[in-house]
Amino acid sequence: MIGEKIGKPAVSIMTTKFVSAAELMARVLGADGYPFVVIDHPISSASGETLDDWARTAAGQSVDLLIGANR
Amino acid sequence: MTLISKRYEVEDVLAAQEFYHSRQWTDGLPVVPPTPEAVQACLDWVMMPADHLIGIEPVRERAITAEKLAVNAIMAGCLPMHFPVVVAAVTAMLEEPFLVHGATASTGGCAVMVVINGPIRHELGLDGTFNALGSSDRGTTVIGRAIRLILGNLLDVRPGQIDRSTLGHPGKLSYCIAEDEENAPWPSLAEDRGIPKEASAVTVMAALAPRQFMNEWTTEPKEILDTYCAEIKANLRHYSIYPGNYAIVVPPQLRTHFQNAGWSRRDIQEYVFENARIYRREWADVGKANVVGKRGDQEYPALPDPEHLLIIAAGGPAGGFGAVIAPWLGHKSRAVTIAIGACLDCEPPAN
Repeated sequence: MIGEKIGKPAVSIMTTKFVSAAELMARVLGADGYPFVVIDHPISSASGETLDDWARTAAGQSVDLLIGANR
Repeated sequence: MTLISKRYEVEDVLAAQEFYHSRQWTDGLPVVPPTPEAVQACLDWVMMPADHLIGIEPVRERAITAEKLAVNAIMAGCLPMHFPVVVAAVTAMLEEPFLVHGATASTGGCAVMVVINGPIRHELGLDGTFNALGSSDRGTTVIGRAIRLILGNLLDVRPGQIDRSTLGHPGKLSYCIAEDEENAPWPSLAEDRGIPKEASAVTVMAALAPRQFMNEWTTEPKEILDTYCAEIKANLRHYSIYPGNYAIVVPPQLRTHFQNAGWSRRDIQEYVFENARIYRREWADVGKANVVGKRGDQEYPALPDPEHLLIIAAGGPAGGFGAVIAPWLGHKSRAVTIAIGACLDCEPPAN
């Protein structure tokens, strides 16, 4: 959201365990319902192959958020 | 300036407790109802109008006013005379190097530790001796608790909301220490960090729980510090390898040995800086081989420089028990020290 405030298109990526925190932060910052990408948790012990898969998925969803109908 | 906080009427003090609990406005312990008179008494004590801006939490962009601090300070059990410390502590927490959002939202589980120095300790009856890390007196207990209620009620730092701590630690309820300056052979922590001796001050640190140890079997400063360093190195191996502010708590029995040997604060800081460090490859010894990578021979000091060691004189008169208090994830948050009720770097008022 900070990137967007300074005019830079941005997208936020959360892991599943931080969805409620992200929703709360969006609400208190006056952007209730702010869309973001969600990936699995945890990333710290995930294998490189798994991370590659998650990254590809997140990249696709990020593009959708940046240029899709939701924006 | 009149108070702007919303007012509620309840039947009695017990009903007030349930009212506050039902809205998640407490930490689970009973609260003192913050009547308008009590809140105003706090504001009068610090000579601040209700809308005095203490600071702005940068991530949330939320203004923190004196009135809101006073409401929570009363709830925590503070008297008006405790309020200047609460104001100073929150002011310090809102300074950029402290990174209040990160420190209070992280899964890393730290609490805000407040260390009090200067003459105000006597005015408030604070005690840095017996049970120094375990709510040794009324003042440190309620000041520490006020910080927790302020974080919860003003910034939503509640478990499962902004506070994402996996474990947290008991210091989150109240983590406040008055330094035992009178029985220390060296200048106070605040003096060491640039505050004049005559001024009172607070230091805030994003701090993990104390790691307590015992070494009564030597009078040699280096051997005593080797035990401190062993605890610090354990934290580097087990929690975070990154350098930052570490605090060490030195009780009277151990301070005597430093005094007899003529060791200054600086001597202690230098020794710990040189000796509290590990190699990344040591992570493999504690189940973290996956993240050693190709940097196994890289050395990681606990302190970026000697000044990052906060030396706190505290503890009861007997016992060779010391403690290491590690930072939240290294250098992300830095300890901040400011004077209480004074501005040491403000411009003088124009006549």
